[in-house]
Amino acid sequence: MTSPVTSSLEQQLKALLPRGRVLTSAAQLAGYGADGLGYKNHLPDAVVIPADAEELAGFMHGAKSLGVPVVMRGAGTSLSGGPVAAQGGVIVHTSALKKIREINTEGFWCEVECGVGLNDLDAALKPHGVFYPPDPSSGPVCTLGGNVASNAGGAHCFRYGVTSNYVLGVEAVMLDGSVHRFGGPAGGRGPWREDWKRFMIGSEGTLAAFTRFWLRLLPLPEKVWTFRATYPDMKTTEAAIHALVAHSSYPAAIEMLDPRGVAMVESSQMACGLPEGSFMLLVEIDGPEALVNARVQSVAELLRQAGSNDVMFSDEDALRQKLWKARKAAGGLLGQLSPAYVVQDAVIPKRALAEVLQLVYDEADAANIRAVNVFHAGDGNLHPNFLFDSRVPGELEKVELISKRLMQRVIDVGGTLSGEHGIGNDKSAYMPLVFGPDSMRLQLSVPAAFNPAHQMNPLKVFDSRHFIA
Amino acid sequence: MSTEAMPPDYFSNCTHCGFCLAVCPTYKLTGDENNSPRGRLRLWSEEAAGRLPQDEWTDFYTAECVGCLACETACPATVPYGEIFEHVRHEHVASHRFKPKLALRLAAAAVTRPMLFNLALLPARLLRSAGLSVHRFLFPGSPSVLKSTAAYADELMQRHRPTGPRVALLTGCLMEAMFREINFATVRVLIENNVQVIIPDGQGCCGAFQEHTGLDGVETLRDQNRRAFGALDVDAIVSNSSGCGYALGKTLEPGKQVRDVLGFLGELGPLRRQRARCDGTRVYVDLPCHLVHGQKASGIPANVLDATGYRWELAPKAKDCCGSGGVYNIQKPANASAILADKSAFLNEAEGAPVILSTSNHVCMMQWHSAGATGLVSRPYEVRHIIQLLDPGEKFSIPSNSPQP
Repeated sequence: MTSPVTSSLEQQLKALLPRGRVLTSAAQLAGYGADGLGYKNHLPDAVVIPADAEELAGFMHGAKSLGVPVVMRGAGTSLSGGPVAAQGGVIVHTSALKKIREINTEGFWCEVECGVGLNDLDAALKPHGVFYPPDPSSGPVCTLGGNVASNAGGAHCFRYGVTSNYVLGVEAVMLDGSVHRFGGPAGGRGPWREDWKRFMIGSEGTLAAFTRFWLRLLPLPEKVWTFRATYPDMKTTEAAIHALVAHSSYPAAIEMLDPRGVAMVESSQMACGLPEGSFMLLVEIDGPEALVNARVQSVAELLRQAGSNDVMFSDEDALRQKLWKARKAAGGLLGQLSPAYVVQDAVIPKRALAEVLQLVYDEADAANIRAVNVFHAGDGNLHPNFLFDSRVPGELEKVELISKRLMQRVIDVGGTLSGEHGIGNDKSAYMPLVFGPDSMRLQLSVPAAFNPAHQMNPLKVFDSRHFIA
Repeated sequence: MSTEAMPPDYFSNCTHCGFCLAVCPTYKLTGDENNSPRGRLRLWSEEAAGRLPQDEWTDFYTAECVGCLACETACPATVPYGEIFEHVRHEHVASHRFKPKLALRLAAAAVTRPMLFNLALLPARLLRSAGLSVHRFLFPGSPSVLKSTAAYADELMQRHRPTGPRVALLTGCLMEAMFREINFATVRVLIENNVQVIIPDGQGCCGAFQEHTGLDGVETLRDQNRRAFGALDVDAIVSNSSGCGYALGKTLEPGKQVRDVLGFLGELGPLRRQRARCDGTRVYVDLPCHLVHGQKASGIPANVLDATGYRWELAPKAKDCCGSGGVYNIQKPANASAILADKSAFLNEAEGAPVILSTSNHVCMMQWHSAGATGLVSRPYEVRHIIQLLDPGEKFSIPSNSPQP
């Protein structure tokens, strides 16, 4: 059933999108209730799928007068409740904007539309001998629009850095329909205004709609070696991480799976022979062949000296994939174990790793909640996953309480809320734990400058960002 | 089973991660998340939980699914999407929320009576034999009009007396009634490789037709095949169509594994066909969805493809659906054509003289043939089953050094 209000909204949307699609039926909205945080459902009033960038700009021109929130959405894989209609309104799904417009191998940049899939871009770049380094685990499906909006990271960001290191320019459409280019192929090397792109990156849809990006590329590494080592305890694992970080080989990735993650993998059909109770480290080094080959033995030796008698390494693709297997399988296996899970994304100083992990175990055990840790150890980006069943009364509340205590400890040790997933509406409640009132006010003034009524993606990042029509 | 009657846990291991979106043909086509596995599961689970009333859009998005099962391969949480989809589709048909096209309902009734079906398609076999097939799905071929595969296999078994492993071959309904030349080629290839072939009596359609359409009768067909194949003392049950093999595999008890005939030959190491050095043929191999996503095979063994003697390579996007989807190209022709258009475009530029598009499912072959017949591909190409590329022809003998059991 459609109410008169909805049908009038539908008519307005259809007028704004003559070529794209407008979805308003209950069964058309249901598919857009959640992102990767599947248990939280927020139904929009409508969903629009613009046919192309021009139509998206046209839509934005009239969006202000709709008088409802506007929420941008790519593939909806985010884990923080970002691209959902927390305050109702219209979801703008950018699935049709998937053109790779240019790959410039002389200037080492590419121009892509916001709906291009990350791995699709990788596949298109590979024959040119170049790559785009950020590599969130959702790569097979996530879009660059979502990557830029959440300043996505990934396993190899330890050396390569996150999305913001690779965005040269952003084309954005404001709620008045005006189209702005912040930067471009020449990146930040222009007048001061150029670096306004930094406002856009990580803005989680609170400022503007993105239509296209200019991204920096790097030459593909000549050689990659992957190492897998297991450790009997946290102390030796930590020693290995510290030694790796300080080592001149400068690993591209340092990933870790805790004993609970190892147990999960080993009791599944993805078992790969990891010792029971062990901590697993996965390390990758890459670069010019002669240079990287010369470092292989010293990395292996370092891993052994830290306390591992189980070090494997390879430069062959098939074997490297096997070494990655446990790490890659871990994320998906969570879904086989539990109907729902919350994954935290805190970043902590590495010296506090053991302390914070212990807190996760103690709190989860006390509440009888299963917790699995699989994360980017090199840069201290934790991903404790708390598994629960949202249909069991009280379980979600327990997980939320543990999360809050964890966040408090993270802040006490000098860490912060999110390394790569964004704040969305899942972590917005923790913002005041990190930022004082002055800082919150200053940060809020940015979205307020771009859309004063907070019509773009309200109730995200800051709990107080309500849209008032 | 109705969506209401499904156990609540049925949907629960979908964590909404979205990995299925990137591989779903209808999501790629429409960009509408409801038209993806994650979206459909959400619609079905919300309806089952009573939070979403029955809605014609739920019916629409359900009917849009090709059933390719690429989402099952992509799913890290092992959601049994195919099984859930089959239940929902059957329920939608049973409760008149969806009505398969008349031609499909008639065909579904006909395949349950193999004798009748074979007789009804006799004129079609005649036309194909005479090179007069004109329908967009009917690829050329010369099926035997009267002699059955069972009779032919008996004849060849008597003549050649192979001594190797014993296999029971599923001859299928459409394969036997329309594309019998592929069954004949399968028998020849197996026997030439010293494999003993039996064609069990009383076998019928695998049930895939009913599964694809959501119509009743699948259990009757499954019972029939359990009786025909269940108690056989053979080394393997083989099928030359990935879809039929997948459906029969779901029917038989664990331990009675159904093998794709090409996978089975791969383990034996098939005899290699010799081709002239100057042969400019290029074979582009497409992998059927129900082989790689249904039967979860990693592909078609390279030694089998090498044994064709031709220069071969995987077609671009070989693991993506061609749009055939069993009967999807009849039920949803516009979608099926759009999916095929993207997948077949490479043929226009593909190198080789002649160019052969080869796969291991007759229904995919029909779809691939339609790319030329409907103008999606403008250059000439042939569509062949891979077993046909291994075919020794009528005059062959079993080499004396063949593997023994």
